[in-house]
Amino acid sequence: MSMSKKFNLFLTILVLIFPAVLSAQSIHIPPHEKVVFKNGLTVLLLEKRGVPIVDFVALVKTGSAADPQGEEGLASITAQLLRKGTQKRTAQQFAADSDFTGGSFEADAGADFSTAAGEFLNKDLARGLDLFSDALMHPIFPQAEVDKLLAQSLDGVRAAKDDPRSVLGTYYDGYLFNGYGYGRTADGDEISLTRIHRDAIVKFYESYYAPGNMILSVAGDFQAADMKKKLEEVFGQWPSKPVTPVKIPVLPPAKGKKLLLIDKPDATQTYFAIGNVATAAGDPDRVAIRMVNSVFGGQFTSLLNEALRVESGLTYGVVSAFDPRKAPGPFGIYSYTKNESTVQAIDMALQVLEKLHKQGITAEQLASAKSYIKGQFPPAIETSKQLAQIIVTNEFYGLDDREINDLEARLDAVTPAIAAQVIQKHFPTDNLVFTLIGKSSEISAGVQKYAEKRDARVINDPGFWPPPAQK
Amino acid sequence: MKKIWLRTATLAMVCVAYLGCVATPAHAQEFPVTERTLKNGMKVLVQSDHSIPNVALYIFYRIGSRNERPGTTGLSHFFEHMMFNGAKKYGPGELDKVMEANGGSNNAYTTQNVTVYQDWFPRSAMPLIFDIEADRIQNLNFDPQKIESERQVVASERRSSVDNDNGGLLDEQLWATAFIAHPYQWPVLGWMSDIEHWTIDDLKHHFAMGYSPSNATMVVVGDVTPEEIFQLCEKTIEPIPSHAPPPPVTTVEPPQLGERRLVVHKPAELPLLMIAYHVPQSDNPDFYATNILRTILFQGESSRMYQRLVDKDQIALDVSSSLEPAFDPTIAIIVAQPKQGVDPEKCEKAIYEELERVKLSTITDQELEKAKNIRLMEFYQQVRTINGRANTIGTYEVFDGDYKKLFDAAKNYAAVTKEDVQRVAKAYFAGNNRTVASLLPENEEKAKP
Repeated sequence: MSMSKKFNLFLTILVLIFPAVLSAQSIHIPPHEKVVFKNGLTVLLLEKRGVPIVDFVALVKTGSAADPQGEEGLASITAQLLRKGTQKRTAQQFAADSDFTGGSFEADAGADFSTAAGEFLNKDLARGLDLFSDALMHPIFPQAEVDKLLAQSLDGVRAAKDDPRSVLGTYYDGYLFNGYGYGRTADGDEISLTRIHRDAIVKFYESYYAPGNMILSVAGDFQAADMKKKLEEVFGQWPSKPVTPVKIPVLPPAKGKKLLLIDKPDATQTYFAIGNVATAAGDPDRVAIRMVNSVFGGQFTSLLNEALRVESGLTYGVVSAFDPRKAPGPFGIYSYTKNESTVQAIDMALQVLEKLHKQGITAEQLASAKSYIKGQFPPAIETSKQLAQIIVTNEFYGLDDREINDLEARLDAVTPAIAAQVIQKHFPTDNLVFTLIGKSSEISAGVQKYAEKRDARVINDPGFWPPPAQK
Repeated sequence: MKKIWLRTATLAMVCVAYLGCVATPAHAQEFPVTERTLKNGMKVLVQSDHSIPNVALYIFYRIGSRNERPGTTGLSHFFEHMMFNGAKKYGPGELDKVMEANGGSNNAYTTQNVTVYQDWFPRSAMPLIFDIEADRIQNLNFDPQKIESERQVVASERRSSVDNDNGGLLDEQLWATAFIAHPYQWPVLGWMSDIEHWTIDDLKHHFAMGYSPSNATMVVVGDVTPEEIFQLCEKTIEPIPSHAPPPPVTTVEPPQLGERRLVVHKPAELPLLMIAYHVPQSDNPDFYATNILRTILFQGESSRMYQRLVDKDQIALDVSSSLEPAFDPTIAIIVAQPKQGVDPEKCEKAIYEELERVKLSTITDQELEKAKNIRLMEFYQQVRTINGRANTIGTYEVFDGDYKKLFDAAKNYAAVTKEDVQRVAKAYFAGNNRTVASLLPENEEKAKP
């Protein structure tokens, strides 16, 4: 600890705690190591010195796609309960031990996989590793904690419905995939959460939390050989067992047009999502898609933002995004506007999409997206936490360091002709799924024109889409 | 919902700034900062870090909604938006186009106290960024058409973060009730009727009042050297003349003499509770003990309030507290999210009981040490990126009067005793000093006739 220190103008002589790593201008991920333990656990180690923090991410290769029908939320509840009681710690002791270090442990599930993330100061590494492994390997799921978490999660769904921004994506995915595959909510809903019991949680854990079904990445301030030894001592003892992989249904894009209107009677704005089923992780066109989407709705000067925000003031924000996963994930245009301008804003978004197809993008726009993605990328791989997450996700999706190390070359290789092909292939035209949350009495008449097939729900109806009764 | 672009005064942004101001405990190491005050009075702070080929540049202007008047509330925030809408060299829309085409991005945030502009860019864009910043600081253009469309953007922002956001709505009502004299009573976003009525002259007046270079501090962190930054400043920023800073805010909030309560009736799935206590401004020595108290009460699942309300009584989904950096005496806010059907008063009672416990007997040594460890971790999380460091350095410089206080804060946290924590609990978290705001779902309890 050094305190008062005088600084001379133009002359700083302190030792940097953030040592200067002389970097070439090209983007590279720091070197890292992959080891597979005898029990099948894949371990990734990345040394990143300078900040005295160590980050752990354990990725379990099973997520909410494995939730039984009608018990949506099971994978997420299981993950969240890992810290709520282990063979040697009650939930309260776990919280006390973890908080005392200033560190953290968080776990949750998405559709493709479940993750647990731990972050500790390197001076607390022993305790941190003990906490992290204790939760992953020895949870006991006490009934009282199960009941507590389920009750909280139920209210969590209700609270989310008070904020249209936080549930638009859940309704949209539900409607887009019509309740199959990625259309099932990972967080559960007001009905599915009441159907989840401790037995199912234990069974989920027993079935999927196994070394052969897990990738563990560790990044930060440590010595790799030493860390490997420590991990071997702890996780190497975990008995292996077979795990049946879960199949994620591959859904084709929706045909035609359909529109779901969720009534929120007190809404003064309409929140909308428009799009279709799009691409999977590892799609060969992924870099070109990223560039074209940056131009279309990814950056501030995107075509969508120029039209809906900068030129017309219809909204505070509009974005478009692809969400590639193991199977094809959603593409959507997401925005909001006041009730009165709902039709105007949606019309305009559709016009911009049509214009993208008709006129393509210019060489200048493409060049801007290239610079923008290159220029903004280094801060995305700046911390050990980011790096631990990136390497573990890449490993899961079968991608490698070239995703980062070759990014600049891959961006440079995208020509206007390739961009034009990508637009035709991956951006929807006539087949569109609309999901709106808003004040039905004011907007429903105007939005009928978008689709022949229309569906409606009220926001406080239990569940998302499809209505639970239809399941 | 995916990320939405911000040029904004949302709470999330403010919290980032706030963390910077609280998190600096014992053992935290220093990093070298080089400073220079330009001839026009703008202070420039530079910290070199070559680990990535990028730069974070922040400009803090000491002007925010506390410098406004009734009738033109929200003007600082609206002005912040207009700073992106064209100057002399870079016309409407060009700033963003040129910046993105060169690999850069930007944002800004406005609080009650400051307006902060942020640029993130590859080293190669450095001369361009200084050219852009100099252009808009001295030659901002007020295009009537842009003003009208941006007015709609801000109205949309307000509809999102207040009208259709229960937390935003209740927070606004809380400030408006806790303060009866001081300008902290009105929202940073401004009242909707004021948003609808600002004029071009209001904007020009605001620019003339707040945007003197001497009223600003620039922080640059990243793949730069202090020498090259100062050279760029000499060329682009230093020639811009200074003028008088905004007139001082002289209104002092009178002491609160008794509890104030307010209720919002609104269609909602769940109720919401907020409790505010008046506390001193950021540079008051009690700030550190207050933060230690808040950590022990609210941070982590082992905190006293979480253990009581969420874990044991199971009456709330979540309980937290916030305290933003402030030039003037402000409020610390407790937010509890009661479970469905739970009367917020039940949460209130549990919160008061826990506060009383802290006042009756001192916290434990273990709790004190835990709080300091949590602050240490937060410090590293805050300064481990060039962006976080730029914000932290600037926040200390502006709110504590000297960025070096960032390093002193370690000492200040280490010096906090159990008795200090007990003393601030008694001094500030008292019944007469609080304002209680409840949002009650209309479907559960009808508005009173």
